Amino acid sequence: MNIIEIRELKKEYPLGNTIVPALRGVDLEVEEGEFMSIIGPSGSGKTTLLNVIGCIDFATAGSVTVGGREITTLSDTQVTDLRLNKIGFIFQNFNLIPVLDVFENIEFPLLLMKKSGAEARKRAEKLVEEVGLKEFAAHRPAELSGGQRQRVAIARALVTNPEIVLADEPTANLDSVTGAAILELMRRMNELEKTTFVFSTHDANVLKYARRIVKIKDGLIEKEPAAA
Amino acid sequence: MLLIRLSLRNLLRQKRRNILLGSAMAIGVAILVVANSFSHGISDIMFNKIMRYVTGHVAIRFNERGGIMREIFRDRARVLETIKDEPVIEEADESIGMFARAIGNGRSDNIILIGVNTRKGISEKAMKEVREAFRLVEGSWKDVENASIENPVIISAEKARYLNVKRNDVVRVRFRNMFGQDQAARLTIAGIMKNDNIFMQPVVFLELAREKELLGYRPYETGSLSLKIKDPQKNAFALAGRIHERLKPGAAVIYASVSGRSGSVPAVLLGYKSDDGSKKKIAGMLKLAGGSFEKAFKKDGVFVPAGLARKLGVSAGDTIKLSYDRKFEKTPKEALLPVGAVCGSGCPGENIILMNDSGFYDLYYENMPAAPGPGVKPYAAGGAWGGLAAPEWILLKRTFNTEEYRKKYQDIARNKWKGTTIDVSTMYETASDILKLESVLNIITLSAVLVLFFIILLGVVNTLRMTIRERTREIGAVRAIGMQRAEVRNMFILETFFLTVFSSAAGIIMGFAVMRGLSLITFHPQDNPLGMLLVNSRLYFLPTFTGIAGSVLLIIAIAVVTAWFPARRGANLPPAQALRHFG
Repeated sequence: MNIIEIRELKKEYPLGNTIVPALRGVDLEVEEGEFMSIIGPSGSGKTTLLNVIGCIDFATAGSVTVGGREITTLSDTQVTDLRLNKIGFIFQNFNLIPVLDVFENIEFPLLLMKKSGAEARKRAEKLVEEVGLKEFAAHRPAELSGGQRQRVAIARALVTNPEIVLADEPTANLDSVTGAAILELMRRMNELEKTTFVFSTHDANVLKYARRIVKIKDGLIEKEPAAA
Repeated sequence: MLLIRLSLRNLLRQKRRNILLGSAMAIGVAILVVANSFSHGISDIMFNKIMRYVTGHVAIRFNERGGIMREIFRDRARVLETIKDEPVIEEADESIGMFARAIGNGRSDNIILIGVNTRKGISEKAMKEVREAFRLVEGSWKDVENASIENPVIISAEKARYLNVKRNDVVRVRFRNMFGQDQAARLTIAGIMKNDNIFMQPVVFLELAREKELLGYRPYETGSLSLKIKDPQKNAFALAGRIHERLKPGAAVIYASVSGRSGSVPAVLLGYKSDDGSKKKIAGMLKLAGGSFEKAFKKDGVFVPAGLARKLGVSAGDTIKLSYDRKFEKTPKEALLPVGAVCGSGCPGENIILMNDSGFYDLYYENMPAAPGPGVKPYAAGGAWGGLAAPEWILLKRTFNTEEYRKKYQDIARNKWKGTTIDVSTMYETASDILKLESVLNIITLSAVLVLFFIILLGVVNTLRMTIRERTREIGAVRAIGMQRAEVRNMFILETFFLTVFSSAAGIIMGFAVMRGLSLITFHPQDNPLGMLLVNSRLYFLPTFTGIAGSVLLIIAIAVVTAWFPARRGANLPPAQALRHFG
């Protein structure tokens, strides 16, 4: 069953007086539980595609269905609710909240969902343990290494049990050993939580972790190379 | 809770910036608190430390025949009866004063002689207030009671210096008594007081009983009353209303025995209003059997009913003799009244003699009549005569601000009053201009502080814009995670709210410290009217909860409204655009 369905997706950005096309008519289907990578060179449209799937950017044309809902027709409040309840984000720059410690960062989406304190604590504790940061639970992001920060970001993305986790170049700011560990962790979470993972990368070393690879170039999906 | 936690922690991220901005806000709040407390202090001084002694919180003022200087009511017990069951009244004092010319050693000057009742006992609180308001530098308040000294008085140091007199010296005074007669007396300086209020410098205090004696009051008569009450702001108007209601007058009546050529019969002497309108009405109502309206309308002329005239054996032009028991004297009062007219019909009653109120009030006030004896039916004026009968006194309408009050007294001065006017007023209407002055001071202060706050709030907006700019990616991240626009906006507004609350708390503490510091400085203004704004030679501040809370709420409201717009703009950033932000 497809959890993401994209038809004829176009996205254009205005740049001064000109219009820059970022996506030129993308068709894509992603099944539940996939561990899929979108690859392509810089400026090919990977981030734009993830942003549109993740409902943080909007399509200029085409249709995008996430979890059975056509997102182009939703209001900002509905889209925000969809992001909170169905989608988890992992950013290249981690984007943790600096004034909250590791535990609070992970717990943050649950508190936005108005979960009770006990429920949020229990779920966050489980995730802190799963990403191996129990000892660092009281540390603020500034006191963590890049790899540890990305682990926090993964835990935060997974804490709400989302149907989809979108990761934009999750290893780009990490050394190769840490990057590999993060990808291992994501794959383990994919197996453990049965969550659909879609991540973008332009690093060929990352590809061996993906079960499905979608290649994008100049805003169009070219072909799907064989999975590792 | 999450938003509060985030807002409070975010406040601590930019400590220096927020401390600088918070300090500016705290200074603004401190200025507002100090200024508000100062203007409220001025109002308190005017009302509770000056007006309170001049008029009391509530005043019952009497003016016989409308004479401004003739502040007398002939039945003290009657008026005290109207205030006896009022628990809010703390003190009821006779407010008696007179202008006099004082002759000292080689110099003379005008003074105001004020009667003080030191014998009735005074609470510690009241004594403290008196000591604060009038500091004795020589002598003691007890000295004014000293019977072995001739008219002992307390005089201000400035006046004593001007008159060139010292303690125990004698000052001669010339004054006009209650009844317009010029009098002279000797006052002995028993004490000298110091007062920063220039307007209190001509005041000379004399024991109340002696003052009344000098002015010609009899023991059962009273001057105007000043009432000091609990919580005047809350109770004054209501109390004045109740007293006013109880002071509604009845008809002034003298129950007498009248004798003529052929005998003596009981009768009632009724005063009638002698203004032109009333006289015209009376002329229309009465049919005369003898005499003329012209003679009967004279000041001492009377209308005698025909039946009563027959019994007495008198006719127009004769004289009748009136005799009645007095309320406060043992001997009866006797008076001869010329019969101006005999009334054939239209009289108010067969034994009621009508008399012009001018002459009637002379009799009535000088010799208050006793109540009707047993078996005598009290007279009740009704029908057409209800509006024509002279009342016991004229109760002036209540007024509620200085303008109405001033107008009332202009009317009093214009009219020719025959009876005693009674006016019940509160210090808030006799001096509502002081409240206006306080409001004006508050508005001036507020305007100045609002300008200051406008500058500070530019800082708030600027700081918030900088903060939002610095945290744009963070806004993008929390929006991407699922925080709603309204929550992001509220997070920034809460930051401003907390900054304002903490700054206001600091400002209040700072304001109180400044007030404490300023009130430690002593001033000695010589002959400067501003001295009246000092208490014990120090600036006086009176902070109020409502004043401070109002200032803080105003500042919070302004800050939150100002923060709203940049906060909303930050919250409305599309998440993808916010995440792309570099800066």
